[in-house]
Amino acid sequence: MNALLAALLILVAISALGVVFSRQTIYSALSLVLTVGLLAVIFLVLNAQFLFVVQLIVYAGAVMVLFVFIIALLDPASEERPRLTDPRLILGVLAVAGICTAVFIAARNGVTYDTSCTTQAATCMHGYTVGSLASTGVSGADPYNTFGFPQNAVNRAGNVQTVANQLFHTYVLPFEITSLLLLVAAIGAVYLTRRTHTGVRRDPRAAERWADELTEGID
Amino acid sequence: MLSQAMFPWILLTAAFLFTLGALGVLIRRNPLVVFMSIELMLNAVNLALVGYSSFLNSEEGQVFAFMVIVVAAAEVVVGLGLLTRVFSIGRELDVDDLDEMKR
Repeated sequence: MNALLAALLILVAISALGVVFSRQTIYSALSLVLTVGLLAVIFLVLNAQFLFVVQLIVYAGAVMVLFVFIIALLDPASEERPRLTDPRLILGVLAVAGICTAVFIAARNGVTYDTSCTTQAATCMHGYTVGSLASTGVSGADPYNTFGFPQNAVNRAGNVQTVANQLFHTYVLPFEITSLLLLVAAIGAVYLTRRTHTGVRRDPRAAERWADELTEGID
Repeated sequence: MLSQAMFPWILLTAAFLFTLGALGVLIRRNPLVVFMSIELMLNAVNLALVGYSSFLNSEEGQVFAFMVIVVAAAEVVVGLGLLTRVFSIGRELDVDDLDEMKR
């Protein structure tokens, strides 16, 4: 599991580099498709099967197809690669390196989480009984276990069931508010991309003229 | 369950993807690539959430990652609608040129 996860993490970092540093927009889009797909596989390895499916459907299926459509429609020109002496690029790379180092050191030294929570069979802060895999005994005949990887104890009823339980009980209000968000986004997109018949819609005699044309056609 | 040895690497990858996305927003001039960089940042957050969810043996991170995916989908729809609008009024697709709001 660890070797597969490490390989996936390295691949996702490389393909993310392709998103930012490709000159052609379509190469950026295809790199992003690869990144999103690899992240979906990482979700699968991390026992988030529901999010794996959602990531593939929403990102690789809907969002990236929309991106590729827009690229085909707008046909953007390829961009000059920034020079290596560009101060913005140097500052940015330094910031990337610094933030990554800081996060890695912080995560390594465990300033943000209680490691006793996961190493011992103890009751965690969430109230779930967390234990090592041998003691929880979830590695048996589990139909939801992907690739035979160790299963999360919390996922024992199945990942979709546990996530749905949270979505429709604990977080039902935020879940309903997302429907409002999607509605507003859909209305906004329709408003932004509507076709404006310039000179026709604002002309008060347009309807009259249209009726004349129609009657001429009949005559 | 995520092993303790791999968890910092997941966070490191998430931080790398996020800062790379921020770098892309700052240095790229094509608004489509800027949007893709924003998608990269949102995906990095999802990776961190799912990693924590697996490490802490809690499914709440996955619920929040689901919400992030919904917000990202809405953001892409509105953003690409804006871009087609900008293109249809005959403007060059360059974020440095689109500065009417600053004036």
